[in-house]
Amino acid sequence: MEKEVKFVLSILVADHPGIMCAITSAITDQGGNINGIRQTVVEGYFSIILTATFAAGASAAKLHAAVTANFPPGEASIVVRPYAPVAMDSAIIGGTTYILVIAGPDRPGILRAATGCLANHGVNIEDWSYHFDGPQVTYIGVLTVPRDVAVAAMQEVLRATLAPLEITCSLQHENIFRATSEIGPVKSILEGRHAT
Amino acid sequence: MLRERDILATLRMLREENLDVRAVTLGINLDDCADRNIHTVARALRAKIGRVAASLVDVCDDLTATYGIAIVNKRIAVSPVSRLLEGHGGEAAILLGEALDEAAAEVRVDLIGGFTALVHKGITPGERLLIESLPRVLATTQRVCASVNIGTTRAGIQVDAVNLVSATILRIAEASASTQGFGAAKLVVFANAPEDNPFMAGAFLGCGEAESVINVGVSGPGVVKRAIERRLADAPESTLDDLAETVKHTAYRVTRAGELIAREAANRLGIPFGIVDLSLAPTPRVGDSVGEIYQAMGIDKLGAPGTTAAVALLNDAVKKGGAFASSSVGGLSGAFIPVMEDHALSDAVSKGWLTLEKLEAMTAVCSVGLDMILLPGDTSAETIAGLILDEAAIGVTNNKTTAVRVIPVPGKSTGERVDFGGLFGSGTIVNVNCPDGAERFIRRGGRIPAPLRSLGN
Repeated sequence: MEKEVKFVLSILVADHPGIMCAITSAITDQGGNINGIRQTVVEGYFSIILTATFAAGASAAKLHAAVTANFPPGEASIVVRPYAPVAMDSAIIGGTTYILVIAGPDRPGILRAATGCLANHGVNIEDWSYHFDGPQVTYIGVLTVPRDVAVAAMQEVLRATLAPLEITCSLQHENIFRATSEIGPVKSILEGRHAT
Repeated sequence: MLRERDILATLRMLREENLDVRAVTLGINLDDCADRNIHTVARALRAKIGRVAASLVDVCDDLTATYGIAIVNKRIAVSPVSRLLEGHGGEAAILLGEALDEAAAEVRVDLIGGFTALVHKGITPGERLLIESLPRVLATTQRVCASVNIGTTRAGIQVDAVNLVSATILRIAEASASTQGFGAAKLVVFANAPEDNPFMAGAFLGCGEAESVINVGVSGPGVVKRAIERRLADAPESTLDDLAETVKHTAYRVTRAGELIAREAANRLGIPFGIVDLSLAPTPRVGDSVGEIYQAMGIDKLGAPGTTAAVALLNDAVKKGGAFASSSVGGLSGAFIPVMEDHALSDAVSKGWLTLEKLEAMTAVCSVGLDMILLPGDTSAETIAGLILDEAAIGVTNNKTTAVRVIPVPGKSTGERVDFGGLFGSGTIVNVNCPDGAERFIRRGGRIPAPLRSLGN
């Protein structure tokens, strides 16, 4: 492609077989190439975010219409925006990846308390998942922590913030989990290389 | 991308199953501290330890905050102090013992090993001076740990040294009678001593090691026990090879955590990384016991026929898991059976199920030897020498490390209880079946020649 335009798409739809095919078919039919993609399902709802590159002349409106056409009327909530490189710059670049695990009895306010603390320290949330075991909930967050943040102090603030909610938390560098879960050399993990 | 179940499995090991780094041990070569003036030696070793180990504790504390894994002990292992005593006499060994103790306190480590003599082929004047100083040094210092290597597969067993050390163990116990002979708990008598062992009391920096090095000892008997329990809950019909596979995979994960911490500590201190020692080292806490692992496997009475086979299975599986996890596995790396430090083993001894003779059989297939065993106060030097010789024979003949750490408790008899507190735990004084009758053999001294397997070149 000589001159390219790039878009970011977000689609929310009740989960059923064939959704990915419907979305990717629409993009391919418009001459697009998918660059980045992440998809998950929460309590029966499918959500996806992706970026894709198209030949000059493509527009957000045409792409939106193409994707919409592949779903029954009113089924999917679709957002299409021109991709802005500035989005990469506003995320934390060069921070360190930590894993936050918070667990305890489910109740309102847990996430507000935890994420408020993270926001106050300039921490970026890259991924967030949950797991229920009866009334107990466990949240796992993948975080980018700015290098100048004192992690030990932030751990204390998190613990103090969540203790009144009977919630425990741990914040640990991702390498302890990679070292115990991957099979590549530990040295490679410390050097930031992916395990073989 | 990390999977949720991997994250939660690691967290469970750390939070609920007592996975920790048992010791980050900084090895320091002190040979360049030698001088004709022993006071100059003492000053030099204090200065060097203070310089090299200045930030050890702070680095370990920072790693604990970063990775969320406890580093229980921060320790130092120096090159054998006996080498600094050559050409000296009188109070020189006492002076260096005190200097080591003060240096360890200044850098805030809990123990310092390397008050060591390697006498497997003969005893030099400096080594004799060190051994003879042990009663006073181990009774009066807080942090100094000692070891003596009396045999190797290549050299055989130095029986004269065994006799000297055995008499010394009784003198150590008498010198520390006010603490029930506790001084003897800080001395390990080795055959085939490893040069890179991070665990106390036997850690020292071997002659073939670098100027300084970081060795790490990872434990985790609680993790292995819970893995077996989960396996049996999921598949009650599991066979012993299934359990061995479970232990192997668990040991892999534990070893990897240890290597991560070891490499990070080494990087931050600017010191080479040495080895990870994956030894299942228990503490007196419930849930942190090697004996509980055997119970989980199905040995309801520790000491019953079959116990030695269970030890062999565990020890081998641990080594296999560790060997795949890291190319830098060293030290002892297996299953310890320190009786006082393991509530399940200690309980089995007090019930009479686990005898000294059964423990000796178990040491033929575990990673160390007769460890933290209480003896009656009237045990003779020849009896202790016989125990050491038997252990050394197992190690030398089978080309493995064996060790003896026994504590004759002054004024106490078989069956009485002793409590040292903390990590050293409590226990029952064992019965030595047929304690005499080998004196004529032992007193001949000399050397038991190296076994045929030493002629391997």
